[in-house]
Amino acid sequence: MAQVSTNEFKAGLKVEIEGEPYTIVSNEFVKPGKGQPFNRVRVKHLMTSRVVEKTFKSGEKLNLADVEEGKMRMLYKEGDEVVFMDDKTFDQISVPLSSIGQNECWLMEEVLYDIIFYKGQPVDVQPPTFLEMKIAETAPGVRGDTASGRVLKPAVTETGAKVQIPIFIEEGSKIKIDTRTCEYVSRV
Amino acid sequence: MSAASKIAMLKDRALFLQKARSFFVERGVLEVDTPILSKAAPIDEHIDIMSVDLGSNCTGYLHSSPEYAMKRLLCMGMPDIFQIGHVFRQQEVGALHNPEFTMAEWYRLGVSYEDFIAETIEFVRLFLGNLPWATLTYKEAFLRFAGIDPFEACISDLLLCAQKSGLEPPSGIRDDKDRLLHFLLGFVVEPNLGIDSLLILTDYPVSMAALAATEEKNGEVVAKRFEIYYKGIELGNGYLELTDAEKQKERLLESNQKRMEAGKSSLPVDLHFIEALFLGLPPCCGVAVGFDRLLLLKNKVPSLKEVLPFIWEEV
Repeated sequence: MAQVSTNEFKAGLKVEIEGEPYTIVSNEFVKPGKGQPFNRVRVKHLMTSRVVEKTFKSGEKLNLADVEEGKMRMLYKEGDEVVFMDDKTFDQISVPLSSIGQNECWLMEEVLYDIIFYKGQPVDVQPPTFLEMKIAETAPGVRGDTASGRVLKPAVTETGAKVQIPIFIEEGSKIKIDTRTCEYVSRV
Repeated sequence: MSAASKIAMLKDRALFLQKARSFFVERGVLEVDTPILSKAAPIDEHIDIMSVDLGSNCTGYLHSSPEYAMKRLLCMGMPDIFQIGHVFRQQEVGALHNPEFTMAEWYRLGVSYEDFIAETIEFVRLFLGNLPWATLTYKEAFLRFAGIDPFEACISDLLLCAQKSGLEPPSGIRDDKDRLLHFLLGFVVEPNLGIDSLLILTDYPVSMAALAATEEKNGEVVAKRFEIYYKGIELGNGYLELTDAEKQKERLLESNQKRMEAGKSSLPVDLHFIEALFLGLPPCCGVAVGFDRLLLLKNKVPSLKEVLPFIWEEV
């Protein structure tokens, strides 16, 4: 299996630590005067997204994680699974909701997602940075609220995402959302 | 960084190269420029040397410090000397490390360890201003910041200490006391050194003496080696120099042995250096200070990238 040494660790590189796949977040070289050199590396677990700090002897090697990424279009939800299709090969795969985790609230039919495969198995689904969707639930805007500084109100989108929207937007309107921050961007 | 601010920084660099030279010249210290390329290698357990293809199947080595050559000059009878030049270390890359960097190294004959430390402080103040300074022994620093006596502690104490700080030493060092001490020094102790003032760390364990003389102090043998820190950053390493040629030879062979045990290549011992030591190194102190890091701290920038013409990624 291909290996990488600590001095090749770059943000974004996918490595295996104790049999688990991680993405490297940052890498810092630490060498006490005339002493053993180390690398302090922050890594994010590919499935749980938990960030942990690990220390290595400089020059230590890790296996590259067998990770591939592909763009696939969501077809439909079926029980606890979601079916995606590759636009070129028409291959279809089922991804369990447990692997999608918090990103479940960004699932929309016909949208292209980044699917992360670890050892051939889909382990994560990343939504596009911006998505357009309808507001399914929100309280009507109350006149005068802007004066008191309350310009946002809670809303739930058709996919179940919870988002703060301007008070003038009503149920059924379509809005653009930043999926990284869960923030309202604009009306569509 | 814009070209204009890089040029301003390089002007400051030029100014301080000149100021550093004046510092020594005013004190009657003579500039030398020894070869950076040698057929033998500096040997240090934890410093990896760059090798150079000399042709005809011969290998040369780039120095990691001009120490051996400068000491040969002292053995030959040269007076106080300094050198400001480039040194090379394999794989040392980071915000505070560049594989090629500039070092200011100097030696003073017949000076006391204490006076020499004071002169080192003066040199650093040339860059950082008139900062106050304090001294901590290696033992005091560990007691204060890691809550552990580095001389008395056994391996399981050191592992527990790391764990208390939320750290997990890599598996390859968990049975090696010196490496665990390096680990705790780097991750737990050093970040606390020199926060409000310059800090001298001294009296190292004998196993970390390198080229320093040793002495017995309160029943413990310690190395007369010091490091200078500011804001958690190591700036230099100095010694009351070991003049015992036999001992020095032993330490070099031992370092080479440790390198091989760690799966590294053994390096050709510099016999010219050993021979010179047998002729006699006069009692002296020496120190090597990282010039680029001084500029980094002086200009309050986070990375060497800002103070070097080009860093490793750019050459």
